[in-house]
Amino acid sequence: MTARTKAHAEPILSARGIVNRFGKQVVHDKLSLDIMRGEVIGIAGGSGSGKSVLLKTLVGLHLPNAGEVLLNGKPVQAISATEKAALIGVLFQQGALFSSLSVAQNIMLPMREHTALATGEQEQIAAMKLALAGLPADSGVKFPAALSGGMVKRAAFARALALDPKILFLDEPTSDLDPIAASGIDALIRQLNESLGITVVIVTHDLTTLFTVCGRIAVLVDRKVTVDTADKLLQSDHPWIHEFFHGPRAEGAMKARKRNHGN
Amino acid sequence: MTSVRAIRHPTSAAPSAPAVVVGGDGHQRSLAGALEIATLVTAEEALTKWSRPGTSRTLDVAGVDSLDTPGALFLCGLRDQGVKLTGVKPEHKVLLELICGLDLKPLPKVEAVARWRQLVIQLGKGAHDARHEALDIITFLGRAASWTVNSLLHPACLRPAAISRHIAETGIHALPIIGLMAVMIAVVIGYQGVAQLRPFGGEDFTINLVAVSVLREMGVLITAIMVAGRSGSAFTAEIGVMKTREEVDALQVMGIEPMQVLVVPRVIALVITLPLLTFFADIMGLIGGAAISQFLLDVSPMQYLTRLPYVVDGSDLFVGLFKAPIFAFFIAVTGCMHGLRVSGSAESVGRETTRAVVKSIFLVLVLDAFFSILFEKLGV
Repeated sequence: MTARTKAHAEPILSARGIVNRFGKQVVHDKLSLDIMRGEVIGIAGGSGSGKSVLLKTLVGLHLPNAGEVLLNGKPVQAISATEKAALIGVLFQQGALFSSLSVAQNIMLPMREHTALATGEQEQIAAMKLALAGLPADSGVKFPAALSGGMVKRAAFARALALDPKILFLDEPTSDLDPIAASGIDALIRQLNESLGITVVIVTHDLTTLFTVCGRIAVLVDRKVTVDTADKLLQSDHPWIHEFFHGPRAEGAMKARKRNHGN
Repeated sequence: MTSVRAIRHPTSAAPSAPAVVVGGDGHQRSLAGALEIATLVTAEEALTKWSRPGTSRTLDVAGVDSLDTPGALFLCGLRDQGVKLTGVKPEHKVLLELICGLDLKPLPKVEAVARWRQLVIQLGKGAHDARHEALDIITFLGRAASWTVNSLLHPACLRPAAISRHIAETGIHALPIIGLMAVMIAVVIGYQGVAQLRPFGGEDFTINLVAVSVLREMGVLITAIMVAGRSGSAFTAEIGVMKTREEVDALQVMGIEPMQVLVVPRVIALVITLPLLTFFADIMGLIGGAAISQFLLDVSPMQYLTRLPYVVDGSDLFVGLFKAPIFAFFIAVTGCMHGLRVSGSAESVGRETTRAVVKSIFLVLVLDAFFSILFEKLGV
């Protein structure tokens, strides 16, 4: 079928025994997670269950109290900045576009730092990334303050893709978006995964995204993760997981899933 | 030598750096290895001249084992120039089709304006802005004054908690630095006085010089400049961040006037604090004067204290303290005005904070010059 189901068996990123504590509150307790090369995995969980902290731990922005994260078999803290930039792309929840740079300059910034390409080349590549993210070329000269919410997400997508990372982390990629823009983002994630073979990690509450884009879903409950396919999780008898996947809001998402799998 | 080179090129030592190999010659050439963003420059150097449009050329890419989007973009460019690509691997075909299928337009060029025209435009803009700026500040001063007076007339609208918080932040926390600055400025004036007056045998008048200048000018000026830098900027940043997070809009929607809750407490707090801080600075300045007298003039602190009433009188202290609440009003209003002017970005918070500090210090000095002339004419 599609690339997202034929994920390779070897993990590109693995977290082992992660413990995160804030004061007395334990957010993650010996959590382990393997992310396979080429898969699309969703990380779901209630508000305050530590999804964002987990994402920050996985990309090496947050040092866990215990445990380690291996990226391509190496501890994530030991990877050099240039190497890490080529491996990891992150789409932050608010976009995190640099407000003093135009969109094209935002995309070109990592290229300028880490490659020897001439400015003309960088501009061409930036235009290509913009088109890939579904933005018109004239949005390249705009500044982030002049963009709508959906365009900010797409521009941030283009910047996350600047160095063709092997893993793309998306923090709430469809939040604050209208359904049309959100489905556009879902389609974009699928397309990138299928054509570029990028491993995608999505932190989201959006059930439609979880059901239609993700091959596997990691649910954060009780300070640990339960990882499985959507079908298996639907049959889970854990009360929170059951509530999450069978609540009133889950029905529409289920329909979307059936529709998606039908064609 | 080798170690130096190794430090200069840390990346070149990487064992598995991806590489691209360009082979063949004439009309038939081939690419092998990794065609990625890191190796693109090599491939480009070898192939850009070779691919002239209008001639039939073939490029064999069967040896390419990894391809990323910039690499695919490069191949698409070659294909558009009439180069035939052969041996494309199936996994790369999807990517190539995707990239070649994109509707690519070059980024629009930002129009360059001639230097002299830029100068003219900036001049006009500057004049226009200056006029608006002046109007803005006058309007805002009026609004702030009317809201403040209104709140004082209706004390139920006052927010004692907010006012006391601002008094603590702008006043109590500023005591150590302002005390230190006042002592320092007295020492500086004292040294200059002794050096200049000694040739005339009038070094004893240094005591007069230090005491009068601290009480009339330096105490209040140093305090006002310090408070403008410390608290005026804090007002701008606090209100500015609230503005960027739409908190100010939220207040308005709830029917709460931002002037009432954000500006008035700050203005009142600073108008209360600055005279007190000035008085503190005056005392510290006089203590600095005592230290100078002891060390440079051999006048003991007790003698200094008995001489003070003869060299300064109440009007010196009054002149200094009278100016403090007026400076405070201008500093607080300028800080709040620029805070409310912040729009959207983090950059704008920084810009407005800088402007607020520069403008409030400028206003303080202009007002001080004005008061100097006024008091001279009045003979105070």
